[in-house]
Amino acid sequence: MNIYEHTYIAAPEANKKDMENIENKIDEILKKSSGKICKIEDWGLRNLAYPIKKNSKGYYRNLYLEGDNKTIKAIEEFEKFNDKIIKYLSMKIKNLPKEDSELAKEKNK
Amino acid sequence: MKKKQFKKKSGFGLSSKLSQIGKKSCPLAKKNSEEINYKNIKLLKKYISDSAKILPTRITNVSHGKQKILVREIKKARALALLPYVGN
Repeated sequence: MNIYEHTYIAAPEANKKDMENIENKIDEILKKSSGKICKIEDWGLRNLAYPIKKNSKGYYRNLYLEGDNKTIKAIEEFEKFNDKIIKYLSMKIKNLPKEDSELAKEKNK
Repeated sequence: MKKKQFKKKSGFGLSSKLSQIGKKSCPLAKKNSEEINYKNIKLLKKYISDSAKILPTRITNVSHGKQKILVREIKKARALALLPYVGN
């Protein structure tokens, strides 16, 4: 089992239902491959540094996952064909961070 | 006749010697320096130019090892649109 850090950006026109659907789908994929979520960070609506698919803003969500390489591949496959998600990035990390990131603190202010 | 006053040496470590010569040490290798992470945009913004290029170590004095990590983290931040690829 590996620890992964996964971030996705949802389109600004996505409403609450769309966001919940995405979360439920990811939960489903994790259950199938016996993975789990260790930590969730919501960075909120942020301005993008450059337009992605003609969007200038996006909802950021950062997940820390535990699972195999197949788990992360399945999640990326789903996000690739979801038109509410405009970008994602996942990477392997060694340890879970203890503190909240700067971006999460920024949102709480 | 006034006596000549000699300056006291502040320490014997490498950093004090470098300061006497006039060379600067790596700003990211200090004890209380922040962790280099793609989520820490404030820190990364110090090391890119106005046109969003990564600054060379010759200007910033970052050590070779830290520059390698810095470059990787800046590129991650660019992929997630936290930092721009091209500036003004």
